[in-house]
Amino acid sequence: MPSVSPSAKTLPLAGIRVLNLGWVWAGPVVGQTLAFLGAEVIKVESRTRFDLLRTLPPFAEGIVDPDRCLFNHAAWAGNGSITLDLRQAEAIELVGRLAALSDVVVENFGPGVMERFGLSYDVLRALKQDIILFSMPAAGLDGPLKDVRTYGLSLASLTGLDSLTGYKGGGPVPMENAFCDPFAGIFGAFGVLTALHHRRRTGEGQHVEFSQQEAAMQMIAPAFMDYTLNGRVAEPCGNEHPTRAAAPHAVFRCRGEDRWISIAVSSDEEWAGLVAAMEGPSWMREPAFATAGARLEHIDALHERLGAWTTAFDDRELAEHLQRHGVAAAPVLNVADLLHDPHYRARGTFIEVRHPLGFRETIYGSYVKMSRSTPQVCPGPSMGQDNDYVFRELLGLSEARYRDLIERKVIY
Amino acid sequence: MSGVAGRGGALSGVRVVDFGQMVSGPWCAKLFADYGADVIKVELPGGDAARRAGPFPGDKPHPEKSGLFFAHNTNKRGVVCDVTQEAGRELFLRLAAKADLLIENNLPPRTRAWKLRYEDVAVVNPDIVMVSITPFGQSGPYSDWNACDLNAFHLSGAGSRYCGRPGEMPLEHGTFSADYFGGAAGAAWGFAAFFGRHLVGGGQHVDVSCAEAIAATFIGGQNIGGYAQDGRFDRRTGVGMSQAAPATILPCRDGHVWMLTIEQGQWQGLCRAMGNPEWASLEMFNDRQVRAENADILYPFIREWTMQHDKMEIMEKCQAEGCPITAVYTVEEVARQPHLAERGYFATIDHSELGPVRTLGAPFRLPASPGGPNRAAPLLGEHNDEVWGELLGLSASERAHLRAQRII
Repeated sequence: MPSVSPSAKTLPLAGIRVLNLGWVWAGPVVGQTLAFLGAEVIKVESRTRFDLLRTLPPFAEGIVDPDRCLFNHAAWAGNGSITLDLRQAEAIELVGRLAALSDVVVENFGPGVMERFGLSYDVLRALKQDIILFSMPAAGLDGPLKDVRTYGLSLASLTGLDSLTGYKGGGPVPMENAFCDPFAGIFGAFGVLTALHHRRRTGEGQHVEFSQQEAAMQMIAPAFMDYTLNGRVAEPCGNEHPTRAAAPHAVFRCRGEDRWISIAVSSDEEWAGLVAAMEGPSWMREPAFATAGARLEHIDALHERLGAWTTAFDDRELAEHLQRHGVAAAPVLNVADLLHDPHYRARGTFIEVRHPLGFRETIYGSYVKMSRSTPQVCPGPSMGQDNDYVFRELLGLSEARYRDLIERKVIY
Repeated sequence: MSGVAGRGGALSGVRVVDFGQMVSGPWCAKLFADYGADVIKVELPGGDAARRAGPFPGDKPHPEKSGLFFAHNTNKRGVVCDVTQEAGRELFLRLAAKADLLIENNLPPRTRAWKLRYEDVAVVNPDIVMVSITPFGQSGPYSDWNACDLNAFHLSGAGSRYCGRPGEMPLEHGTFSADYFGGAAGAAWGFAAFFGRHLVGGGQHVDVSCAEAIAATFIGGQNIGGYAQDGRFDRRTGVGMSQAAPATILPCRDGHVWMLTIEQGQWQGLCRAMGNPEWASLEMFNDRQVRAENADILYPFIREWTMQHDKMEIMEKCQAEGCPITAVYTVEEVARQPHLAERGYFATIDHSELGPVRTLGAPFRLPASPGGPNRAAPLLGEHNDEVWGELLGLSASERAHLRAQRII
């Protein structure tokens, strides 16, 4: 299978096969995570309705084509692709036959969609007794909000997370892309693995229910506990510490257009480092800033004073200067910085690869480093790139049958 | 073994040592504890820094009453070990020798100073998977920097690209979102490394940088290919999605709503929900593209309607018309959300110092092997005797000796 490299044998999930019906972002990232770790992942999609993600710009060499979507090449890397029109009964039968050869089926449709396809857990289990069905609907498979319509972008509104994001004293400011999608995708891979482990121990498969709302809600624990313990309802607080345990704790303006530095001081030792780095201006010795408690109490004034100082400096030079004094500080990077930053270059975060269609492009590589296993990352799949392998080799369809299915656009 | 481990969760039989503080490492280890692994949390004598970070009842600091510590350490056993002393370090390694995974989030210079790098741990346990979750990772020029969640988040590009108003400071969500992201990556990759260790020839070191995980999978996905190809990139707008409108958070009578329509049918649904106002049929709002171009004109019109209605009412009306429009739930509103209550998401656990504590439940459901928090976070050193005595076989007098040396 072209999307899986020969070195996959040395990866820890070698031998696991995943049939991925997930679409857009979160579902494909579950597949990607498992594939980076060695699983063979077969994504099912169709030309009858292009996956939304394949339609988003930018495109390779500016040519609009679902096989040239750069977002897709990065976010779906590791997934293979077969094309099936799931509205046709023969396509569903092929999915079932493929499920019978798989360890895991992943889907992120709404509740009831798999049933309507005729691919419920009971059906799949009849085809393969120990199958793991991994469902990741927005808000779970039951409950009054189970059919809630959201996109990844707005899902965070159902978790409390959006209500915490914004400037101090103002209303919520949106996170302008679906942070919860890649989060749920990676987190979901852990969910799949727990079920695989259970299967190894007991021989049992199961239907895992991964509500993206409930998974993403894990991130509001600090504010939730303040509500639990004190009845306090958190509001946006800029970049302040989530439990108000550090000051300063913010992003400050630096020299140049849209240049910023993040600075956090959690201990007296770090405060002393900051004082030394700033060569001890007199205001830092005022009682208002003398203790951690006082600094928290006067955090707005503290941030204002500090911001007046940082604005004269280059963000990177200032971060290095502060680091020499033991202060937690780092430049705030923009998209262009990511590609050139020496840290990400040293870690090989972004890699240039050749796409089978002939162009070179930049995607992200293995963003976690393992000392024994190195995933070989190739661009996300062209539509149907694995049709031959899956339908002829894996399912053993005759040449005539395969051609017929293509002609009748069952495989499409 | 006591507690959840005896209940037969999906991960029963897996032993994890949690040598982390604050959020990323402890939360990652908690995911294992939620599903039945035997997770032993090792703290220095001063305790996990989360014990000092609150929130505390009545804002009165107390090392056994931190909400942050409670939330991320349920279902774990807790021991103390001063690894800065040689005998403590040896004891820690004896425990690591009995573990399948070691999850930690100490900054690399600290791990080096303690001589508890992966190389040191692998000597006593070549099969162990050591998961290190730090802001910047174990290699690269910033790996020795002092840093926390905030620095990691903003090194990822997420704030600059996607959160905040132009010209004003980029924002993180008001939580430890980089730590959680790194924690999830550590759980998935670390557990895979454990699951397949027989295939790859043993344990290994799994190096997670919270900044890198977000930079790659969240920002890199949609932005890096285009920038590398065209030399152009976008920045935050403060509004929402710029290719569609409405696609923003708007105020309403009692709070805020996520006002979003992508497909034309959703826009029409919103128009119906608003009672088909005359302005909605203006040419400048005809399709998604022109609406996006005229967003500045569109939003005040919609706001006029939202300001007359409550968030739940807007959500119900719009959802009924097929629109992906949702209330921006406050923490209190999610805590009381009937949906989550009916699903039994929350768990209430008794704690000897805090009394009954309501906390977030299992992040996902495994019907064949249910998980979730059911045992309070450990008091500092609560399971010293159980772990050092029963698991490592130290006699009462050996333990007394270690106590006298302030190692445990």
